[in-house]
Amino acid sequence: MSILINKNTKVLVQGITGNEGEKAAKAMLDYGTNVIGGVRPGKGGEEVLGKPVFNTVAEAVAQFPDITTTAIYVPPFSAKTAIVEAIEAGISQINTIIERVPIRDTAYCLAAAKEKNIQIIGPSSLGYISPGIGRIGVVGGPKAQADEIFTPGSIGIISRSGGMTNEVSWQVRKAGLGQSTAVHVGGDLLMGTTYADLLKLFEKDSETKAVIIFGEHGGSYEFEIVDLIKNKEYTKPLAIYIGGKFASTLPEGMNIGHAGAIVERGKGAVEKAKALAEVGVMIADRYEDLVTLIKPYF
Amino acid sequence: MNLYEFEGRELLEKHGIIIPVGEVVRRGDNIADVYRKLGLEEVVVKAQVLSGKRGKSNGIRFCNSLEEVEKAIDEIFNMSIRGQYVSSILLTEKINIESENYLSITYDTNKKQPVLVFSSEGGVDIEDVVDEKIMRISLDIRNNTFPLVGGAGGGSFFLDLNTQSKFNMIGEEFLETAENLWQCFLTEDTRVLEINPLVKTTSGEIMALDAKVALDDDAFYRHNKEAQVRDKEKGIEPMTITDWDLFESRTMLGRRATEREIAVQEIDKGEKYYQGTAGKYIELEGDIAVLFSGGGASIANMDALYQVGLKPANYTEYSGNPPQEKVFELSKIVLSKPNLKGLWIVGGVANFTDIAATFAGIVQAIDELKPNFPIVVRRAGPNDKEGIKMLEECAKRNNLQIKIFGKETSMSETAQVLAEMISNN
Repeated sequence: MSILINKNTKVLVQGITGNEGEKAAKAMLDYGTNVIGGVRPGKGGEEVLGKPVFNTVAEAVAQFPDITTTAIYVPPFSAKTAIVEAIEAGISQINTIIERVPIRDTAYCLAAAKEKNIQIIGPSSLGYISPGIGRIGVVGGPKAQADEIFTPGSIGIISRSGGMTNEVSWQVRKAGLGQSTAVHVGGDLLMGTTYADLLKLFEKDSETKAVIIFGEHGGSYEFEIVDLIKNKEYTKPLAIYIGGKFASTLPEGMNIGHAGAIVERGKGAVEKAKALAEVGVMIADRYEDLVTLIKPYF
Repeated sequence: MNLYEFEGRELLEKHGIIIPVGEVVRRGDNIADVYRKLGLEEVVVKAQVLSGKRGKSNGIRFCNSLEEVEKAIDEIFNMSIRGQYVSSILLTEKINIESENYLSITYDTNKKQPVLVFSSEGGVDIEDVVDEKIMRISLDIRNNTFPLVGGAGGGSFFLDLNTQSKFNMIGEEFLETAENLWQCFLTEDTRVLEINPLVKTTSGEIMALDAKVALDDDAFYRHNKEAQVRDKEKGIEPMTITDWDLFESRTMLGRRATEREIAVQEIDKGEKYYQGTAGKYIELEGDIAVLFSGGGASIANMDALYQVGLKPANYTEYSGNPPQEKVFELSKIVLSKPNLKGLWIVGGVANFTDIAATFAGIVQAIDELKPNFPIVVRRAGPNDKEGIKMLEECAKRNNLQIKIFGKETSMSETAQVLAEMISNN
């Protein structure tokens, strides 16, 4: 069992004819993900990697009604159109790999997805991997490297950074442990799928025994974790690293100013760590300590 | 990108928000001419910086004559406000204030939608206002109509009764400004719009006496000349698009960009294919040159560097599989800062960045500049063996003091190695 993908999950790649899209489709197929085809307006009927290309998401869904997942590789200015198309076609999980999506477009898509109970992962997500089951995107890199880093196991991993998804997973493997699912949630201000969303899924997942998080300064998503634990919606061991302590040493101009501060009143990095520690979350000073903190539970 | 007050208030004015009459003064301008052009005796002289709290730092002065204005301007141009360079000064009319309020729209990360914030306690730091005096209203980015109280205005509607009663608490006199601010937020791709104070003048006008605006850098492509042309082709009046390219250059640090920072910005302008791969350079005060790979790793590594007592000379991150030429140019600039004591080249286990290709760029820069200070490298990912071999050969021919690590050693551990090499040097 895995939280986001299983052996039968049928995956669509929007933007499959582009460089990044094709590379990702290949990485997914190499890892055993069931990529059934892709979308590129005007290139319907063509093939990429032996898989059919459709003009629209709706056309793909008409032929393969059980597509549940899409991974989107289009330029940022097409992001909103591509995501809305997937929402309207009723695809239940939309992986937004696109970086630099204007925040207004992200907010629009998140509101539209929420109404239909559709899960958006990202934007700026590299994807995720469930070792031995499948992956979305290029998490782990070439198959041989991915197999060195990832092995089926019981630690769930959530990261704000794509590179650090790999790095933290490697620390886990080096310690003799394996991963249940490692998710790159993306580093944007607005996150389609948050730490709390994933922790709820990891809680229900019998395979996952503990979770580690690589977080960054900014945003207030860590406070959702506090509420989740208080409400006993997440009860497994959890360790978190929040990067960006150095940011407080930078000149004031680096901060965005009062309007951002008021939404997050009293929610700086220090307060985040304190509030999380109070509900029993283990706080890592360095990212390497995440696995050290979680190891005694195994 | 954060805007200066004088830029931000023009954006507000474009959307119908009333602002005081004003003129911008730059270094070397004839102050008497500007003062005469304004044609007022009493004026407010305001330092233009990207930080808040300039009033507390004596960056705002009230003057009653040309002599006073000249003196104030001279003083302000020669001060740094909370470490920030004063780029220009805004002269505005002095407003007779009846009440000071606070109004802003920004993104609420929990609701993942914009939130409008209003308080009748304006003119002070909003952090210092008690929660009961602050109104927060969630907005839906998909509805460009504003939920006006009483249903006034065509097509207006309420999200729910709770929202309606909240709007009632704002007070009718501020609603038009709130609606204008919402339109500004939607059309100008802003991340933050804040008016503090939003005043009611003694003559009953509602006026924005300050403007704090942060633009969404990711929306640049729809706020430039090309976007204006695209709109014109679609039959939309092009003047509605603000050309962001016309804003003067600035750094996030609120100071003038350094030579090296400008040089890094230039790298991407040359070749189209460089674009889309990150290459940031922010100059800092320390003496350890850094070349980080990956956004998250760079944040963790900045922390790790400070933890072992070293101070970065720069913050530089490249990611997204940049070509060799780009890494070469970037490395050369990083290594060109005088008085460096060490170099840390560090990144995690890459997903798809070609380590051999990026290291080839670094090797090229080292061959050219032959640094004689300690260097520590830690990196892994596709083609890492080849990349590390290249670096080892480069070390040999240039007699470098270098230690190279792969993924068997963690990133933070290698910060400690660098600290030890430097203290033994």
